[in-house]
Amino acid sequence: MASMQKRLQKELIAIQKEPPPGVSVNPANIGPNLTQWIVDMEGASGTLYEGEHFQLSFKFSPKYPFDSPEVTFIGSNIPIHPHVYSNGHICLSILSEDWSPALSVISVCLSIISMLSSCKEKKRPPDNSLYVKTCSKNPKKTKWWYHDDNV
Amino acid sequence: MGNCLKAVSSSNDDISLLREATSIPRESSSSSEQLGPPPSYQETVNQPSSLPVYYPSPNVSRPASQLTEEEQIKIAQRMGLIQHLPTGEFDGSKKNKECAICMGDFTIGDPIRFLPCMHIYHTECIDDWLMRSFTCPSCMEPVDAALLSSYQTD
Repeated sequence: MASMQKRLQKELIAIQKEPPPGVSVNPANIGPNLTQWIVDMEGASGTLYEGEHFQLSFKFSPKYPFDSPEVTFIGSNIPIHPHVYSNGHICLSILSEDWSPALSVISVCLSIISMLSSCKEKKRPPDNSLYVKTCSKNPKKTKWWYHDDNV
Repeated sequence: MGNCLKAVSSSNDDISLLREATSIPRESSSSSEQLGPPPSYQETVNQPSSLPVYYPSPNVSRPASQLTEEEQIKIAQRMGLIQHLPTGEFDGSKKNKECAICMGDFTIGDPIRFLPCMHIYHTECIDDWLMRSFTCPSCMEPVDAALLSSYQTD
C-alpha cells in the first residue's frame, strides 16, 4: 500500500510537471490517498474531437500498479467513438489484459488521446445499447473482446 | 496433487511442490535447490492461518484452495522459472536509473533481478508481477519463451 502511494505521488508530480498535450489535472480533483483522480482532456486539434472537453476518472486499487486502474469517461461529454460506450466505459486492451505495471496514468492518457485522434467517424460501438443495459458498473468486470485494432 | 498449493508453510516446500506438480526432469529441480530459496512472492506465505492468494492472470486473484488444477500447475511452473532468472545487486550502472514498476530510483546494493530481455527491476517488484504474468513489463517479451530458448541453445 505504501509503495503504491509513493508511486502515485511520483506519477502525480510527473503529470503536473509535463502533462501530455491537452491533458491537465486539477489538484482539487485528487481523491483521498491518491486512489481516485479526475483527469481533464481536450480533443486534439485537427481531429474529430477538436474543441471538445472530456473528463476521465481513474480509480486505483491497493494492488496498483500490478492491477490496472479502472478508467472511464465521466461527466456530461462522453466522446462519441466506436470504442467508447455511452456510459463512459472504454474498450482498450491496455486497461485489462494487456496492462503492464510499467504503464502509467500518462501512458494511459496518451493511448486514449491516440485512440480518439485516429477516429474517422464519430459513432458508438455497435453493441452500445445492449452493453450499457447489462454491464457491471466496473468496466474491469467486463470480458472485452476487441473489435479491431485500427481505431 | 489436487491441493498441491494449499497452505504453503515454508519456502522450501515450494520446491517439493513444484516437483510433484510438474514433470520437470529431476536434473533441473535439483539444480534449482542450489540456487537458494525461492523469492518471497507472497507476504502471506509465513502466516499459516490465512491461505495465500495467487494470481493466475493479472486481474484474477484466487485463494490457493480455489485454484483449478491447470492454474496450480501454471503457478508452480512460474515459481520454478522465477528461480532460474539471475539476481544481483544494483551496481550503480548509469543505463538503468529507476525501477519501472515502483518508479523508485535504484540505489547501490538494491536487490535486482535480470530478465532475459536485459531489463532489470527490483527483485521484490518484478517477482510480484511475474507471479501474475510471465512477461517483461517494459517490452512485453514473454519471459519463459526466452528462458526455454536459452536452454535449448546451451
